[in-house]
Amino acid sequence: MNDISIVVKSLRSRRLSTIITAASVAVATALLLTMLSLRTASFEAFQRGTGTTHLLVSADSSPLTAVLNGVFYANAPSNPIAWKKFQDIKNAFPYDWAVPTQQGDSFRGFPVAAVGPEFFTRFEPVRGEPWKLVAGQFPSTLFEVCLGSTVAADTGLGIGQKIVLTHGTGASRDSHEHDEFPFVIVGILQPSGSAHDRVVFTDLESSWILHAQERRERAGIEGVATVADLTDDDRKITGILLRLPTRPGRDASAAIQQQFDALRRDTGIVVAQPAQQIDRLRSIIGNVDELFIALGVAVLLSSGISILLSMHNSMSERRKQIALLRALGVARMRITGMILTEATLIGFAGAIGGCALSLIGNAVASGALKARIGLVVDPTLDPRSTVIIVAGAIVLSALAGVLPAITAYRTSVADNLRPEA
Amino acid sequence: MTPMSHALQLANVTFDYGEDFSLTIAELSLNKGEMALISGGSGSGKSTLLWLIAGLLRATSGSISVAGERMDGVSESAADRIRARHIGLVFQTHHLLPEFSAQDNVSLALMAAGEPEKTHAARARELLNKLGIERVHVPVANLSVGQQQRVAVARAIVCKPTIVLADEPTASLDEMNASQAMDLIQQACREAGAALLCASHDRAMQSRFERVIQVDSFVSTKRASTKSGARA
Repeated sequence: MNDISIVVKSLRSRRLSTIITAASVAVATALLLTMLSLRTASFEAFQRGTGTTHLLVSADSSPLTAVLNGVFYANAPSNPIAWKKFQDIKNAFPYDWAVPTQQGDSFRGFPVAAVGPEFFTRFEPVRGEPWKLVAGQFPSTLFEVCLGSTVAADTGLGIGQKIVLTHGTGASRDSHEHDEFPFVIVGILQPSGSAHDRVVFTDLESSWILHAQERRERAGIEGVATVADLTDDDRKITGILLRLPTRPGRDASAAIQQQFDALRRDTGIVVAQPAQQIDRLRSIIGNVDELFIALGVAVLLSSGISILLSMHNSMSERRKQIALLRALGVARMRITGMILTEATLIGFAGAIGGCALSLIGNAVASGALKARIGLVVDPTLDPRSTVIIVAGAIVLSALAGVLPAITAYRTSVADNLRPEA
Repeated sequence: MTPMSHALQLANVTFDYGEDFSLTIAELSLNKGEMALISGGSGSGKSTLLWLIAGLLRATSGSISVAGERMDGVSESAADRIRARHIGLVFQTHHLLPEFSAQDNVSLALMAAGEPEKTHAARARELLNKLGIERVHVPVANLSVGQQQRVAVARAIVCKPTIVLADEPTASLDEMNASQAMDLIQQACREAGAALLCASHDRAMQSRFERVIQVDSFVSTKRASTKSGARA
């Protein structure tokens, strides 16, 4: 028999109350851990999606919208950029590479992006991690597509199968299928852990032909459109990914800001630095998740109060136990220590349970983020946050035990063991 | 210094309890292994005397020594240590921890006395078996009243105390069970070599003790004095 075994027996004798109290600590701990780790991980995942792009040009309404649409495929950009504008921009500065992109079509709800060939050869979705194929090859001729890993996994489609793209998202009234032009799947990309995994990629000319065909049908021209039928009006894009030359091994360049300012002089386009916009997004969303974190802290405080109330309520029925221990010769301070240990153990059990809950919550949330927006979020707990929150929960629980411990310290042996008159 | 042959020695002890109750004990001693009964009516101060000896109430003045160690004038923690090592307590209502097993209840006394933890279970089990308790792992709430009494006695003597203080140990029992309970307590004390100071208002108990101390003979109470019109 020792102090800990007395504490454990005491907790077991109040099993339900102990479990409920520890559960409240666990929920609060899990909420805080999940919020903090998902916040960090999701922003890291957002940063991954921007890849090696220094500047993004689009005709969207704002730089943030340009990044959300152009990098994370939130919506199809509403305004096009003429091909000539792309060539002017590309030729105005010795960029390391310039990749034109066009969005607007979809396949079974997944966005379709028509891209220039440098998208696969020069652009890296994650810095230092160029595109790799699980199978097949990148599109090299007309009407070929390459599937992002999530698209391939969700649709179950493989190399050689044909698909038909949908004009628009498929949900809008003017959506229709481009069934005159089936596309062959020629490649399946390896997961990049970014929004690109949810995308079907094809080449620009194929995409332009689809829309040239529509133009021709509206004009009553019969036959199927070819590259030769493309007009300047057909050759439109919705975004340009730009990278400036950098020194080997470096990602930044002093010229980025100069070129950013230079491009902004053109009022017909919007220029964004994706990394800056992600930080901006972080500050906007940060206010919301600070609210959640505050909520988690409030739940943690309330669980501390529930420990205090649970133990304080139990003190009335435990006075005899405490008085008896005193009568047997157990010192007041030792009993005080047992009560504090009891509160601390509840906090410890709750905090450990909270870590387990958080791991489960993170796994569920990261699964949902991957399925919904293609973000791969690391579901493991951040060690620093975990140590701080677990320690905080335990210290708070121990503090919640102070009042019951004082009550125990003051318990009168005579009043509680002497037979009632 | 208390002679080592004394298990207990009190001298000029006074205890004020509120405004109308006071105990004054001029002298009281008990030899090692001696068994004495404190007799007197309800409210006469028998239990208060035992609690003073146990150090659970602090005397206003005077000296109290147990096994040669002064209980008065020492710190509370020192009194706790002396009580744990030298005093066994038997209460009227046993005061066992119901959710703890018989073995654990007895082990608590060994823990309080600072006995090595690895010896607790074996010593408790051995004593309980000796006192006829075989189901040592059963919560005491599931034992009969008679078995609970045995567990309480085992807890009082497991540390081989110098003195056992029994406060109305048979007050809630019928005549036959009271007799069996006292047999048990006295036998256990005898075998443990412990002195026994038993407080009881039951006159039938007097024949069991070689020494009967009438509490009124050396204890004065303000309340009693006030009642008789002569304040002490």
